Amino acid sequence: MSGTHLIETVINGLISGSIYALIGSGLALIYGTTRVLNFAHGELLMLAGYFILLFAVTLGWPLILAAAATIVLIMVLGALLQRVTIAPLMKREDWAFSVIAATIGLSIFLQSGAQLIWGEQYQGVPYFFHGVAVIGEVRMPWQRIAILVVALLVMGICGLILYRTKLGRIVRATAQDAEAALAVGIPAGRVHTIVFAISAGLAGTGAILLSPLITVNPWMGVSYLLKGFAVVILGGLGSFGGAVAAGFLLGLIESVSVAFVPSEWSNVIAFAFLIAVITARPEGLFAGRGA
Amino acid sequence: MLQLERVNVHYGATRVLWDVSMSVGAGEMVAVMGPNGSGKSTVLKAAMGLKKPSSGVVSLNGEELQAKPATVRPQRGMSIVLERRRLFPRMSVEENIMLGAYVRKAAEARETYDWVLEILPEIKPHLQATAGRLSGGQQQMVAIARGLMADPKILLMDEPFLGLSPAMVKTVLAIMKTINERGVAILFNEQNAKLSFAVSHRGYLLESGRVVLSGSGEEMLEHPEVKRVYLGVREAAA
Repeated sequence: MSGTHLIETVINGLISGSIYALIGSGLALIYGTTRVLNFAHGELLMLAGYFILLFAVTLGWPLILAAAATIVLIMVLGALLQRVTIAPLMKREDWAFSVIAATIGLSIFLQSGAQLIWGEQYQGVPYFFHGVAVIGEVRMPWQRIAILVVALLVMGICGLILYRTKLGRIVRATAQDAEAALAVGIPAGRVHTIVFAISAGLAGTGAILLSPLITVNPWMGVSYLLKGFAVVILGGLGSFGGAVAAGFLLGLIESVSVAFVPSEWSNVIAFAFLIAVITARPEGLFAGRGA
Repeated sequence: MLQLERVNVHYGATRVLWDVSMSVGAGEMVAVMGPNGSGKSTVLKAAMGLKKPSSGVVSLNGEELQAKPATVRPQRGMSIVLERRRLFPRMSVEENIMLGAYVRKAAEARETYDWVLEILPEIKPHLQATAGRLSGGQQQMVAIARGLMADPKILLMDEPFLGLSPAMVKTVLAIMKTINERGVAILFNEQNAKLSFAVSHRGYLLESGRVVLSGSGEEMLEHPEVKRVYLGVREAAA
């Protein structure tokens, strides 16, 4: 492998990894704070894909406006889904399995709803950024570079909110001990809703960045949900920072593996790595550093 | 001040409190004593709103609270130190303490913070330490500090001596007396009868979720049943 090829491989790995990190960190935030495994998270990504298609392509809104509307809408939807479906179940004493079943049901419902509304066809979103950046012999489309930059920016903002603001403190407190948080007056239920909204916003950002590279369709969230869960497990269940790091690691593993074996093997290698990690370190690579 | 009237609590189909009635007056120190599984912690959780009673009344200064969420209690002047400290383990000691003042304005909280550190000076050197890495005794100090940050008129303490060394038990007891002397009522639970009733103005004995005995601390210590079952004292042969 030449030096140029190696650099391109690493950058491509970081770009894929940034999407995995966006999706995985959202899942980790939810699990870390509420102990809920949200199987409908991929469908929020899918819906955000359709929203950006609607705003940016069908309605022709400027990119910034379309992206902002998509993020706001998907965050409201994430909060609403939590309030309507998950929060009532969490009031029961044995809610763990019923919530899993509910989010699986929600996932199927949203996929079927998308099929009914938008049909089964795969729809493309044009590139938001045109041209190719050339640095020496390394060539990279601006659209892909934008993915990495925007994803890092959004996750950085989330990290700042989590670790430097009052909202972040109450989210972390609720994640570490929801009953103790309640006892000091923190409305844990409202914190859970906020976390679902933030998590949906992260998935929505992923969808906006991804939609020009893959087609928007009712099933686009499924494979990313699986990768998201892989990232959550690799990072240590519930660890926001761990999920971000694991997302980039997974992206790099996939990208480097493609350089040596046919691309069909990249998922096999990524999940083999996941199994190896679970075997050697069941608590994940970055356990104990939860939100 | 705090009143529990005929409070019943269920965990699923299991009834754990049976018509429990008790009260804590302003400035009082009241102990709830009983063996393991007698429902002591449930009494405190029901009072704090962390466990919803299936029936009965929980009121603070005449205001009925049983149907209101737990988050209302700190605003009304009730606070709790949970069993086994229950700090936010990956946050700093200072963050833990300041979260105790979540319902208050920053300026008021700062005043209480100074007062709390005056009562609990042992915490000062550890303010930036990660709370989960402190010793059990130090964690209990932080838990008490967090509980006081709400500026409570009544502080509930769930098994405040659990897992502490004898020396630390003495320290925590002294802190409780200081807090109480400053006008904060305390309702605490404990398994040790001597420890419970020697320091409290009044006490309740709880068995299988029922209040079976109540009286002043002295009366409780002198009660033949308490002496026989919980203090291991045999009556002299007649």
